[in-house]
Amino acid sequence: MRGAVALFLTLYLLRALVAEANNALSGLHVWLFAGGLFVTYSALAMPFREGFAASLLGGLLCDCVSPVGFGTHAVLFAFAHTVVFNLRERLQRDETAVRVIVALLVNLGLFFTVTVLRMRASHIGFGSWPRLLSDLFWSEAALLVAAPWFFALQLRTLELARAKPSRLA
Amino acid sequence: MRIGRSQRFDQARPFLALGVVVAAWLMAPIALKTLARASFFEMTAPVVAASSYVNDLQKFWALRLHSKDELIEAGRDMARINAQYSLSVQQTVELQAEVDRLGALLKMPAIEGYRYEHARVAQRDFSAWWQRMVIRKGADYAIPVGAPVVYSGGVVGRVSEVHAYTSIVQLATDPGLRIAAVVDGDTRPISYQGGDNQVFGSPKGLIEFVPLDVYASTSVPKRLATSGLGGVYPPGLTIGRIVHVESSADGLFKTGEVELDPRLSELTEVTVLVKQDSL
Repeated sequence: MRGAVALFLTLYLLRALVAEANNALSGLHVWLFAGGLFVTYSALAMPFREGFAASLLGGLLCDCVSPVGFGTHAVLFAFAHTVVFNLRERLQRDETAVRVIVALLVNLGLFFTVTVLRMRASHIGFGSWPRLLSDLFWSEAALLVAAPWFFALQLRTLELARAKPSRLA
Repeated sequence: MRIGRSQRFDQARPFLALGVVVAAWLMAPIALKTLARASFFEMTAPVVAASSYVNDLQKFWALRLHSKDELIEAGRDMARINAQYSLSVQQTVELQAEVDRLGALLKMPAIEGYRYEHARVAQRDFSAWWQRMVIRKGADYAIPVGAPVVYSGGVVGRVSEVHAYTSIVQLATDPGLRIAAVVDGDTRPISYQGGDNQVFGSPKGLIEFVPLDVYASTSVPKRLATSGLGGVYPPGLTIGRIVHVESSADGLFKTGEVELDPRLSELTEVTVLVKQDSL
């Protein structure tokens, strides 16, 4: 499970960086959501058990700082991980561009799922959609820029932890 | 056939694992989930606090670059403001003594007092789903859940979670926060709720159950203040300015829009009001 621990450390760093970015952008009412990055590399590159554990722990990390039921993000990330893992043999999963596209799509799906789950608690109505779409746009843009760097960081961390998966994983 | 079945089982195995994990989580005791949540939060708290201290240090070193003349000028301006506040404090003490004397004469119940806990804002989390901030005081300063949080401009929100040395404040702009309010000069209660916070825009809130004889517009706004009902917020604290009212669908009341102070998005320090009997 060394790979899971190494990936969890990178997800811990990711969460801290996203939180700092949101803190800095709070004055402009812009908010970034990076759920796709928590799942993509683990699902595309790691053996199922280690990657699933990392995605699950990453979800719990997001849950503990959000006013949602504890386990909400964890279940969503775990589901996204399972879906991507099942589809990965049909993709060029070693290509960075493919990984980025998968991250963007997973992020989009997770964002809309969380929005639907929060519709009642956050009184999301017609007037909320401009803000939601703006947050989604900026989140996808930030993900497009940061994803290649983050995937490289995760690969390097796995190499340092001597947990880099083989191509057959 | 056997190879086909084996392939289908291999494809279904991740979903089976997902199902087992979800089922195990749903059946897990609440105490375990509470412990796990607290543990994960405390794992992230040092990073939040550390980045906040680094920001403070950054501002300190930026201030050190100011010339002595600038600091002397700022000190002189602050001295004038301090003198003004000192006079106001003396007047407040006199008024409080008068209120206590009248309360004793009329045998009225004592007005609740508050302990003021000033706390630095460590992190802001302003999404479309929630509006929260993390402050650098928690159970170590006996901050209770539900305590009102204020600043120089009025209401910030209320404490929604308390941890070992941090607390989470639900802002007045959060769509899930409701406050019992009154229009300045009126005693009839109305309901305030956090509203949509558009990108690059100023924070806003919504009001309901506004009496039909209340009028407000952008050119003639009305001050919205806490009513004191419910016992959470002391009465008279500014929430915002009512800039628009219109008749509701049923015609019995009006609804409206409240413009909040833009400083809410940039606060660096807030004050938590802790009731004296909570000590």
